[in-house]
Amino acid sequence: MALLEVSDISVRFGGIRALDDLSFTMDEGQILGLIGPNGAGKTTLFNVVSRIYDPTAGSVTFDGQDLLALSAHEISRVGVYRTFQNLALWPGMTVIENVMVGDHTNTKSNVISAALRLPSMRKEESDLRDRAWAALDEVQLTDVAYSPAAGLPFGTLKRIELARALIANPRLIMLDEPASGLTHAEVDSLAQDIKNLRDRHNLTILLVEHHMRMVLGISEKLVVLNFGRKIADGDPDVVRSDPEVIEAYLGSS
Amino acid sequence: MSAPLVVVAKNSAEHKRWQYVQWAYVAGFVLLTPLVLQPFEIGKMNRALIMGVAILAVNLVVGFNGMLALGHSAFMGIGAFVTASLVQDENWDYWMIVPVVLIVGFLIGVVVGLPALRVKGLYLALVTIAQAAVFPSLVNIDELGIAARTGGPNGKGVSEEVIAPSYWEWLPGVDGARGGSAYRYWVIVLMVAITILLVTNYLRSRAGRAVLAIRDNEAGAAVYGVNLPIVKTMNFAISASIGSLAGLMWCMDKGFVAGQDFTFLLAVDLIIGLVLGGVGAIQGGLVGGLFVVWVNDLTKRISIPLGLYTLNGDGPLAKAIFGLILILFTFFAPGGIVSLGRIIVNKLIKVVPLTPAGQPIEPLSNFDPGMESTRADVAMKMSIAGPVLLAVGWLLMNVNNLLVGVLAFGLRMGILVLAPVAMLVGSNELAAHADGNRPDSAKGPATMARTLGALGFLFVIGYAVQRFVLTY
Amino acid sequence: MTWNFDILPDFIFNGLSLGAIYGTVALALVLIFKATTLINFATGELAMLGAFLVYVLHMEQGLWLWLSMLIAMALSAGLGILIERSLTRPFDPSDHLPVVLITLGLFLILNAVAGDIWNYQVRILSNPFGKFPSWVPSVGGDRFIEVFGSRLKYQSIGIWVTLALALFILGLILNKTKAGLAFRAVSSNVESARLVGVHTGRTLGFGWAIASAFGTLGAVLVAPQLGGVNPNMMATILIYALAGAALGGLDSLGGAVLGGILVGLIQAVLVTWGGVVVFGQLYMSILQLAAAFVIILITLLFRPSGLFGTRRVERV
Repeated sequence: MALLEVSDISVRFGGIRALDDLSFTMDEGQILGLIGPNGAGKTTLFNVVSRIYDPTAGSVTFDGQDLLALSAHEISRVGVYRTFQNLALWPGMTVIENVMVGDHTNTKSNVISAALRLPSMRKEESDLRDRAWAALDEVQLTDVAYSPAAGLPFGTLKRIELARALIANPRLIMLDEPASGLTHAEVDSLAQDIKNLRDRHNLTILLVEHHMRMVLGISEKLVVLNFGRKIADGDPDVVRSDPEVIEAYLGSS
Repeated sequence: MSAPLVVVAKNSAEHKRWQYVQWAYVAGFVLLTPLVLQPFEIGKMNRALIMGVAILAVNLVVGFNGMLALGHSAFMGIGAFVTASLVQDENWDYWMIVPVVLIVGFLIGVVVGLPALRVKGLYLALVTIAQAAVFPSLVNIDELGIAARTGGPNGKGVSEEVIAPSYWEWLPGVDGARGGSAYRYWVIVLMVAITILLVTNYLRSRAGRAVLAIRDNEAGAAVYGVNLPIVKTMNFAISASIGSLAGLMWCMDKGFVAGQDFTFLLAVDLIIGLVLGGVGAIQGGLVGGLFVVWVNDLTKRISIPLGLYTLNGDGPLAKAIFGLILILFTFFAPGGIVSLGRIIVNKLIKVVPLTPAGQPIEPLSNFDPGMESTRADVAMKMSIAGPVLLAVGWLLMNVNNLLVGVLAFGLRMGILVLAPVAMLVGSNELAAHADGNRPDSAKGPATMARTLGALGFLFVIGYAVQRFVLTY
Repeated sequence: MTWNFDILPDFIFNGLSLGAIYGTVALALVLIFKATTLINFATGELAMLGAFLVYVLHMEQGLWLWLSMLIAMALSAGLGILIERSLTRPFDPSDHLPVVLITLGLFLILNAVAGDIWNYQVRILSNPFGKFPSWVPSVGGDRFIEVFGSRLKYQSIGIWVTLALALFILGLILNKTKAGLAFRAVSSNVESARLVGVHTGRTLGFGWAIASAFGTLGAVLVAPQLGGVNPNMMATILIYALAGAALGGLDSLGGAVLGGILVGLIQAVLVTWGGVVVFGQLYMSILQLAAAFVIILITLLFRPSGLFGTRRVERV
């Protein structure tokens, strides 16, 4: 059974159709590459799934649950996490604190237990800190754990976002252009990292990326968007030779 | 000079030494204040501490949550009037009123905050500014027995004085001759300390990090499960209840409350204190409180000789200076005095955090300048500068001029930092020299820094102890 | 309790003329909010300064009142441009705190400067509509005409006509002049305006200028009702204007005017007239100010974008 099922999603801003009757499914454990020229609606889809936008029509189900019935802050409860194209980190906090907030949903301490530093809170806090450290270790960033997030290089910040999503034991991670701003060598190692993380944590990964070599290298399924419509989906090797896909890419770039 | 003079691992023995010095200073100031100051000055200190708590409350919303709250004067007023009425009309004890004031403040915070915080934008600023403007007139309403409880336009006096019970008379400064202000000082210090402790714990927790995350990036916070309206409203209500607590302290300290004490101008004073002290810094509240009270006082004293128009002794000059300070700080020091202080501290000391295994995150030897070290020279200069500044400050004290007096005070305080830093850096450098890690030329300056620094530090401690013993 | 409807028109007229003044000041707030999404807390003090300029030019220098008003409006417009240019433009407009702090600082400085020059006594400023001009046929006395058995003051009529004229001129400026069109472009979308080559900084300065001029107009019109000018004259007016702007919708110019008028009506009819009927007059001014606060809260609860606001209010 499909883990994520997007059916007939349409999003309109004024007269513009950002997404038009988009449907696709992805299976548990899959890496799905969502590609398309700029403005094709990829980030819009992310914003629909993470409930920042309301779609005009259609439905999104995750593991049988209707995601559109939830609000933005409830999406993490079902295990859906994302990163942002232009980063949505918290620069006023240290790197490790950023990662610790990543598991806000699964931690419990509240204002009272925190103000009084009750033993339950202290235990949760030190446990959370250890797990944040481990998550940072997975993306090789322990050396900046206690630096403020502000002022670190773009590539580092991208990896912090990854660690922040990892700490919560997500089921689905949506990665919005994780390779942007990276060098060639970094892209290759990132692709390998994503595969390893998927295997180690049983993740399902929805990947938006412009870096074609990377997408084709790690995706097990491709969905191609153009002007908000799906023009192809399926096995990467088949899709890449689809004439409409080639046309969309050649025509736009 | 860029590299810090001292690098220590967090929680190491040396780090602890630095913290002891810090705590000793805090304790020294807290203990000496009621002994050295005149009763009316203690009153001002009390007011500064109360303002500090109120500014901390504003900071929770403005500095840590990134929302604009401009009406905390009303929360202070609510706390003050609830206290006055319960003490005067119902004969309650102040201690019993604390939870009441906290709950009342919290609930009103929810009522005011929720409508504005459900939606994005400057709406909280709008609501709170109106709240501050309306509050002073609300206490005059005759209906519902409000005016009877608040005293209406006449204000309400509280005859129940806060007087030390005999078993507290050993507290520094507390005795019959000095009036109740010293005892009130101790009560207020206790409340301030507890408030700061609880707020610090709150901010360094899951709940507090959610508040900060909202300030830094709302969309990111929401995606990671932070319920924005609830967390914002909760934080605002906590802030409101702390503001009300400041009101309780105000009533306890002054023994009189009137609507005219809690106008929009008080709210503006809180904002100024916040900016002066440091937006988003917990210590900012206390620093800001001290400066607001002090600058207000200073400008009052200089408007009359300058021939400026005054109204009830409180000239418009104070407000103009505050306005100017607000603009200048916003332009040139948006982090306030605390951030300026942090720049200095960062030049002196770096604390290297630990990994979960308890090792420094980066080997301390990475920070060691080795044979090229100039630390000993710097320390030697500091060890000399301390006494020199002290002497200059002492001489300048004889000039009968307010501003020179302020400068002189500042210079004399220099030794508080310079002496212990010189001493500890000096002994560090000597140890490094013994390990063969410093050139021989460093030995002389290091010895000098250690000796002179230690003398200076002993002098500071001795002076404090002497003042304490003589006045206690 | 008797519902005394005979005196109701009096209160309605009064509410409409107060409301027109709130609308004028609310317009000043919205002109700046629309362009920058900032609430300018110095609006009231800038307006007060403008009123004092009129006081100096007219009462002290003996210039014709209307000429003094025009000069004062021009001067405060210049001051607005100066403030925008030097104090607010250096800051990132998406970060609200610094600019709000700047406007708060200005609020304090302007109030203090005025307080030091003119102290805090009320100074009489001539009423631009004290008496009907001689060319108007005498109707029911010099200062009012009878409508529905109530007195409609010349002052009220004058305020409405002045505001209508000012709005007409504002409309012309916004729709016909290059600067006005640029302003509308910037306030609907800064990014695209910049892309098509609009100089956004200059345009925001234009917004500040118009806003300051409108504030001055409002202050001069309200002065007679307060007995004259004084440095604190705008404190409560600003709160009513904020309520009006919130009620009308912070991004709607027309909404600001209508919202201000509505607030004036609510104040005069619901609170004052109702207060007279239900309680007697004792608590009038107290409840009026509280009403402004309640209006803001209710607007936010039920219609956060205001009655006429168009900008989609983002729920968080």
